Amino acid sequence: MATVSFRDTTRYYAGVDRPAVDGLDLEVADGEFLVLVGPSGCGKSTTLRMLAGLEGVDYGQIHIGDRDVTDLPPKDRDIAMVFQNYALYPHMSVGENIGFHLKIAKMPKAEREKRVRDAAELLDLTQYLDRKPAKLSGGQRQRVAMGRAIVREPSVFLMDEPLSNLDAKLRVQTRTQIASLQRRLGITTIYVTHDQVEAMTMGDKVAVLKDGLLQQCDTPIGLFARPVNLFVAGFIGSPAMNLLPATVDVDGVVVGGTRLPLTTAQRSGLTSDKVVVGVRPEGWDTVDPESGITGVVEVVEELGSDQYLYCKSTYGGPDQVLTVRTPGMAPWQRGEKISLTPKAGAVHLFDEASGARLMDS
Amino acid sequence: MTTRVMTPPPPRVAKPVRKPPRKPKAAPGSRRLSPLRLLGSVIVWAFTAFNILVLYWLISASFKTPVEIFTKPFALPYQWFHLGKPFRNFVYAWNNAGFGDAVITTVVLVTLATVVTVAVSAPAAYALTRLGVRGSGGLTNVIAIGMGVPFQTVIIPLFVVMSKIQLDNEYGLFFIYVALSIPFTVFLLTGFFRSLPDELEEAAAIDGASPTRTFFSVMLPLARGGLITALILNAIGLWNETLLAIVFLKDQSSFTLSRALFTFYGAASYQSEYGGLIAGVAIVVLPMLVLYLLLARRIITGLTLGAGK
Repeated sequence: MATVSFRDTTRYYAGVDRPAVDGLDLEVADGEFLVLVGPSGCGKSTTLRMLAGLEGVDYGQIHIGDRDVTDLPPKDRDIAMVFQNYALYPHMSVGENIGFHLKIAKMPKAEREKRVRDAAELLDLTQYLDRKPAKLSGGQRQRVAMGRAIVREPSVFLMDEPLSNLDAKLRVQTRTQIASLQRRLGITTIYVTHDQVEAMTMGDKVAVLKDGLLQQCDTPIGLFARPVNLFVAGFIGSPAMNLLPATVDVDGVVVGGTRLPLTTAQRSGLTSDKVVVGVRPEGWDTVDPESGITGVVEVVEELGSDQYLYCKSTYGGPDQVLTVRTPGMAPWQRGEKISLTPKAGAVHLFDEASGARLMDS
Repeated sequence: MTTRVMTPPPPRVAKPVRKPPRKPKAAPGSRRLSPLRLLGSVIVWAFTAFNILVLYWLISASFKTPVEIFTKPFALPYQWFHLGKPFRNFVYAWNNAGFGDAVITTVVLVTLATVVTVAVSAPAAYALTRLGVRGSGGLTNVIAIGMGVPFQTVIIPLFVVMSKIQLDNEYGLFFIYVALSIPFTVFLLTGFFRSLPDELEEAAAIDGASPTRTFFSVMLPLARGGLITALILNAIGLWNETLLAIVFLKDQSSFTLSRALFTFYGAASYQSEYGGLIAGVAIVVLPMLVLYLLLARRIITGLTLGAGK
């Protein structure tokens, strides 16, 4: 059990002037499940590898509990890691794979076998203990990799996109299993993914990175409800938030026939009169054609429980595509005219130049 | 309860019975006979046929009398079988060429030299490719240059030096064999180690294994295909090596097979014992051929399957 903290942690790669991770400050509470999420090349894997000791730290420190581990080798950090491609030792059986650390740590054989057996039981691997990894399915290999981490009872779990090699159905299933296993074991976990659905469903907290910079670290609800900038607003949520340009005047901003007054706090965040209005697909009301933003339904995505309409509109510029969520089995057809206005309280406002959220209070 | 109207299933249309083809059809266009392909096949098959012919000639001639060898070079052996002594040539070669001692010397020398070569080269190749040592690229190139120096050009100074330190014998030959085999072996094994995934090493580091432990418990078993390849190629090369053996071995009792064969060649051709001579050649050549046939599959099969997804 331990907390993890990154303090101004910076990592450069040879021959690249821009740091891969730039002055990261991040605190992870004891027993917390933190997800690092962001597009490719945002520095999330580098962050994890620095914590694992597989990557050096150029500036700043990393602490696990109250120990400064910045310059410790991986074996002295009391961590366990699950790799994206699992990195199972192909010449060892499942049991040997799981027990390799315990063997190196010179644990007595009887105890070692008991621990391996317990871990195997927890992950439903008992019948495969004597098999080689090559004889296992992708899901089973993934569980072996988990077993190798669990058996050590480390103070921190590190997971580097452990589900990306599984098929869609198994991924959803394993997602829940990992989350519930982590809650049961209560071990601090740092989990890297590029999939924002995984991030939102698994994490106690989610840290969004972009270009090596931490954008926002918050609970999934916090991220969804109050994204701090345009990047987070566009990255979190599926389908993505609609972002429309608008101009502020003395009375506020007008979106689709609705006038939204700005608070003093919001006004103080403005750098010019240009703002971006964000509305999530579920934040629209359909109204009479005269009052709202008009558009033409181009694509209807029927999911059964919900329906997504992708509408072409000229609002705020040519070829603007607006995404609208309507109840499943709604009678919308392609080519129909639609008129939209944002629901009360569903509007996010961002300064266009800086991209920062105009904080409501 | 409501009654549901069941539509009857459509009547089954009798489908023609299909047999699986003897060989599934190739992708369209992949089997076109281009002139280059044709030329290539002709050359490959001609080369193979020539080799098989030479092998056939060697084996059949080793059972023939000299007269048969010269008059009916491609016929099956007859005379010695007719006389009820089919292995007469082999017995003659074995008894007259001193192969008895030579086999033991050769097996011991080749085995030791091969094993020591690989035992030295494997850690070297691992360190050069994996430990990220400064200057490892340059060092690898220096070792590779060693392959480019023909040993024939250094044989005289080598002999002078070795005889000064009383190593102009089978022990000296052992050191020379190891030294001359290392460049190629290191070069071959660097390729194998380089192809192994990084994650395994990282996983081992997180599991707490030291670099030495990682090398022996994780990387070495995975490079087994490469190690076996290195063993076989070195064994074949050293088994057939003649020039150095001629230069360094003076004592008949310490002759290797190829060296003994060289002496026997002089004696046998003088006595026109060509059947015996060819049997002697077969005794030297065939064990390596068998070894290669037995282990060739191991060379080709990789062992990293199942490490990743």
